[in-house]
Amino acid sequence: MEKASHLSVILDLSPTQWHLSAQSSNQYPLSIHSFLSQLLAFLNAHIASKHENTLAVFGAFPGKSVMLYSSTDPVADDVPPADANSYSSFKVVDFTIVRSIMNEFDALGNLDEEPPCALVGALTKALCCKSISAHFHSPNAVEDPAVLPDPRILILSVSPDLSTSYIPIMNSIFSAQKLKVTIDVCKVYGPDAVFLQQAAHLTGGSYIFLERRDALLQYLTMSFLSPPALRQVLAVPKQDKIDFRAACFCHKNIVDVGFVCSVCLSSNHILFYVVKLWFTYMCTVFCQPVPVCSTCR
Amino acid sequence: MPSLTTQSETLTPESIPHTLLPFLQSQSQNTLTRLYQRPSSCFSIFRLTGPLERQIIMNLLWLESAIPIATMSAWVIREGKKLYDAALTTLANLHILPQSNVKLALNPTFKASFRQAITGGGNSSSFGVPAEKDDKRSTNTVETLDAYALERWETILHYMVSSGQGSLPTKPSQGVLYLLQRSGLMTQNHGSALQITSAGFQFLLHTPHDQLWDLLLQYLHMAEERQMDLVEVLSFLFMLSTMDLGREYSTEGLSETQKAMLEDLRDYGLVWQRKATSKRFSPTRLATTLTSSCPPLPTSTGTSGGPQSQGFIVLETNYRIYAYTDKPLQTAVLNLFITMKYRFPNLVVGMLTRESVKKALSNGISAEQIISYLTTHAHPQMRKNNPLLPVTVQDQIRLWELERNRLKSEEGYLYKDFGSHADYEYVLNYAKQLDVVLWENTSRRCFFGSLDGHTNIRGFIERRTNGAV
Repeated sequence: MEKASHLSVILDLSPTQWHLSAQSSNQYPLSIHSFLSQLLAFLNAHIASKHENTLAVFGAFPGKSVMLYSSTDPVADDVPPADANSYSSFKVVDFTIVRSIMNEFDALGNLDEEPPCALVGALTKALCCKSISAHFHSPNAVEDPAVLPDPRILILSVSPDLSTSYIPIMNSIFSAQKLKVTIDVCKVYGPDAVFLQQAAHLTGGSYIFLERRDALLQYLTMSFLSPPALRQVLAVPKQDKIDFRAACFCHKNIVDVGFVCSVCLSSNHILFYVVKLWFTYMCTVFCQPVPVCSTCR
Repeated sequence: MPSLTTQSETLTPESIPHTLLPFLQSQSQNTLTRLYQRPSSCFSIFRLTGPLERQIIMNLLWLESAIPIATMSAWVIREGKKLYDAALTTLANLHILPQSNVKLALNPTFKASFRQAITGGGNSSSFGVPAEKDDKRSTNTVETLDAYALERWETILHYMVSSGQGSLPTKPSQGVLYLLQRSGLMTQNHGSALQITSAGFQFLLHTPHDQLWDLLLQYLHMAEERQMDLVEVLSFLFMLSTMDLGREYSTEGLSETQKAMLEDLRDYGLVWQRKATSKRFSPTRLATTLTSSCPPLPTSTGTSGGPQSQGFIVLETNYRIYAYTDKPLQTAVLNLFITMKYRFPNLVVGMLTRESVKKALSNGISAEQIISYLTTHAHPQMRKNNPLLPVTVQDQIRLWELERNRLKSEEGYLYKDFGSHADYEYVLNYAKQLDVVLWENTSRRCFFGSLDGHTNIRGFIERRTNGAV
């Protein structure tokens, strides 16, 4: 029988962005309520696919990231008792997620200015989650039945890129590559996210910009429900154009032309992984010509 | 990103469908549609299908209208076309996705019920009515349920394995005995005690999950003969498979057929009831793992329990077997194909010998089954080896099997005493044209023809002798 799969979902829960998303001036307004109900159906579908499938949900709130649900955690006591009309696991998942989100929103209070969403924090937490990082610790992971193959992370993003988080995102991508984790990204609202595009591309996942926002569930099911092994049969759309721009290290601006230190570049270029990435991984990128960077000097 | 090789690895074993699917496919559309009215049945059947089928169902589940076939097949990668077509055929046979050349749409009954299963709600009560909390008695813990299921299941297996050896273990109930006999796993010779058959020996080497479904499938066939409503039987099994381990459910809302089933399933260890008239029951792990690949008896194979300590057999290149087990059942099963040397409280040492393996082979167990049993129950220490079992031992077991097949018998007729060499040649040529010659010897003017060619050859010879006269 085929193995079970693990899915970690990262929800971008920025109140401002969701408020904007629900505005009726959008072509397809999508409120957080309808978003959550469609998402829960998707999560249920993932659990339904296989008894052993595991799930973890992380929320990226302004300035804070929280684990909302994990199937490995013991069930909380206050979950309403099972009834005869629904599968009990679904009830636990749905109830726990909705309650945690509500609690977090209540705890936010009235902020004058919303700090940026802690997407990187959530991503890092997802990578540290046991089902995913177990791959790294046991060398013969294939034989160990406790380790699930093909773990993946799905990011549902609504906030625009935060250029200050460029370096941590890149670092997360590289650890994801090392852990053989696929990162899928669904851009639910807002402009294209450059860094998340790169994340999906580099880990073999797909980045999808939601055009028909009223059909969120269909997008989610068709593109993100299938585990990577199945995507060899039923294709999942990938981007043909990826924005590879990096952010400069001095002012955190996204730059079209980057400048690198001549010393680091010359010493490191053999180790580079992807040509377009070496700027960002091995070298410090500047927005103006610098003869020798501070480290090398 | 997984390469193409991993794809073939992960997708080929899945092409073996679940044992229940062929049975479901043989049912009439009417039966299946009635079955699909219950969300829990849709849910369980969905889990039994392969991953590709599941994805296709999911893709179509939330669509209100049918979509053109071309749209859907645009998603299929060319190398996967075959798998995709096979998946569509499976779904069509299950009447989940009616075959059509233009548009794809799920069976409306299935779609409605499965949507309800995913989103919850409705009032179908198909996931089992939880019993009210009983303050007088404490509910069973998972451990007691596991112990109960294990005891019941091992009683059955132990009875089977020891029937060939003359010892008398505890007998399972009459219903179980009848089922074992009915399924051909055991036979009764002239009023003597039940004897295990070669199918029964093979059955013992299967994984518990397969054994369980084998028996349940027989139960379903039997239910058909007993005029039980198959839809009720199936939907009850599916309902059990969606229940929570360690929770009590109420028998209210169950039909008469299903209440009768409770009694049978109690004998197999699938459900637990305080007493036969009790108004509540708890499913055991055997029942709740019906649609998953979790081991249905987690404590049965390892000494400490848990899925990781499953294996207990160490096989060395010198044909020695060390089995770390204290279970009489496992020892008995091993005894089918090894010669026991020593027995300790938690360790059995034995040898794979020519005699022991030949004994197993003559019981109808195949070499492949022995090898796969050793593979699935290999000790974690063995898992470090690649290949898992020593190649020499594997080859030798196969060679011993081939030894048995050195002689091939076929029925037929020997044609001899031909009057002249010309006659002989003439008939032989005719027989060769029919492709029925198994052996020939020109110097002794005789040949051996198979059974089905005899009438033709005989007629040919008769025509010729008559013509010559």
